[in-house]
Amino acid sequence: MSKTYEEINEKIRSKKAVVYTAEEIIDVVKKKGIEKAAEEVDVVTTGTFGAMCSSGAFLNFGHASPPIRMTDIRLNDVPVDGGLAAVDTFIGATSLTEDPKKGYGGAHVIEDLIAGKPVHLHAWGPGTDCYVRKDIDTHITLDDINEAYLYNPRNCYQNYGIATNTSGRTIYTYMGKLLPRMKNATYSSAGQLSPLLNDPHLETIGMGTHIFLAGGEGYVCWQGTQFKTNVEEVNGVPIGGARTLALIGDMKQMDPKFVHGLDITGYGISLAIGVGIPIPILNKDILQRCCITDEQIYAQLTDYSLNTGRKEMARYNYAQLRSGSIEYEGKKIRTSSLSSLSGARKVAGELKSWIENGEFELIKPVLQFPKKAKLKTLTEDWL
Amino acid sequence: MERKFKVTYNESNVQGSVAYVLVKEFDLTPNVLKANITGDGCGFMVLSVSGDEETINKGMARVEECGYNVEPMVNHIHKEEAKCWECGACVAVCPTKSITVDKDFHIIVDYNTCIACGSCVDACSVKALRLVI
Ligand code: SF4
Ligand code: SF4
Repeated sequence: MSKTYEEINEKIRSKKAVVYTAEEIIDVVKKKGIEKAAEEVDVVTTGTFGAMCSSGAFLNFGHASPPIRMTDIRLNDVPVDGGLAAVDTFIGATSLTEDPKKGYGGAHVIEDLIAGKPVHLHAWGPGTDCYVRKDIDTHITLDDINEAYLYNPRNCYQNYGIATNTSGRTIYTYMGKLLPRMKNATYSSAGQLSPLLNDPHLETIGMGTHIFLAGGEGYVCWQGTQFKTNVEEVNGVPIGGARTLALIGDMKQMDPKFVHGLDITGYGISLAIGVGIPIPILNKDILQRCCITDEQIYAQLTDYSLNTGRKEMARYNYAQLRSGSIEYEGKKIRTSSLSSLSGARKVAGELKSWIENGEFELIKPVLQFPKKAKLKTLTEDWL
Repeated sequence: MERKFKVTYNESNVQGSVAYVLVKEFDLTPNVLKANITGDGCGFMVLSVSGDEETINKGMARVEECGYNVEPMVNHIHKEEAKCWECGACVAVCPTKSITVDKDFHIIVDYNTCIACGSCVDACSVKALRLVI
């Protein structure tokens, strides 16, 4: 028994599609059995809501009169890219204001724009015969400007490590505050709800996949940066960061409740957004992979006090991590998440209701991502 | 019961012992959670006091008579719900397990057991946690 994208979309249009979240589907399949469930269920929705530094936004401000070719641009004092066309820019999420103590950066500009707040635009240009103006000082809102696209070169990390600190001092990392002598450990994955753990070999997710992006519609637009496949798998899913996705979506559709600019103490700025990906149940194998549970998904504990060469110290599954503590060599380590599971649930739930209400159709990818990929490292010049 | 107080002192009474008064005269159990004295002899301490309610009230009234400023502490760790995105980063850095996750993964702060250490404050990436002392 198999279905096509068109058959599923036909059911979505007539509001008859049967949709469950990646958490709900586990019990549904347990009760009905895989064969019957694969016949009945059309879509499984996944969700994740965590920090991703590789995020940003393209904006076009519109032309002033007389016009300016902006080469040096600040938004709320955050330097943004002046290397595109006259009034285009790219806001990198981690860009900082000159005073880093403010804890405000590109991610907060994106958050403020989506929240509808006015943002201070100050820009300078060289002044040319065709763009005579040399500076402009004004305010913009998301409604005032032409295009605004959120663009994530990398998001939806398939899985990620668990961080701890064996040293004698507290360290502040992108994996949060790590107390001395392994008093705590942090992790960052939605586990059984996470998009790429439910379709681990990207059978249904590829370029063009229609997704929920921060409360609006978005698309998978390329493989994510640092995409790799050569990671050990347990129960059919990788035990560390492997595949990633590049995402794009219209900021004007987004909902501020799914967008948070973060100031991670001692590390810097990052952006957290809610991403939901629907998985079409084309056959029972695809459904089977959506039944993965937290108990089956493992991640590796590593020591973030080491500057390099962090080796796996132990591995734990997400059910253990979510229980609040893990044990390492007889010692109890308290655990906490860095990504919002309640947020991921909201994402998967909202996407589910869009599909049930016939408001969101699925798109068959126009390109599959590589089946094999590995990472290169950066080496210094040999002198 | 247990209650927490912020006791402020200055150069005239910084050498006195608030804890001694509470133990000796009232048989209360005081516990200094935090103390801070600046170079000029002024400062404050955060005091947890256990005993029955009436005795605690009497004891702290006596401390005030000795010239200290006494402020009961309630909601000394403040979580701004509108800012919190329920990431959970604050949970495991709390030494008293005052921050917990419920079954729906909502984050709950127990103001009663919080000892105002401040460890959670810089673990939060959206400045949703504030220590009010
Ligand atoms: S101030 Fe200290 S005791 Fe209170 S909630 Fe924060 S970490 Fe826990
Ligand atoms: S760290 Fe901040 S945002 Fe995260 S759960 Fe705690 S209070 Fe909420």
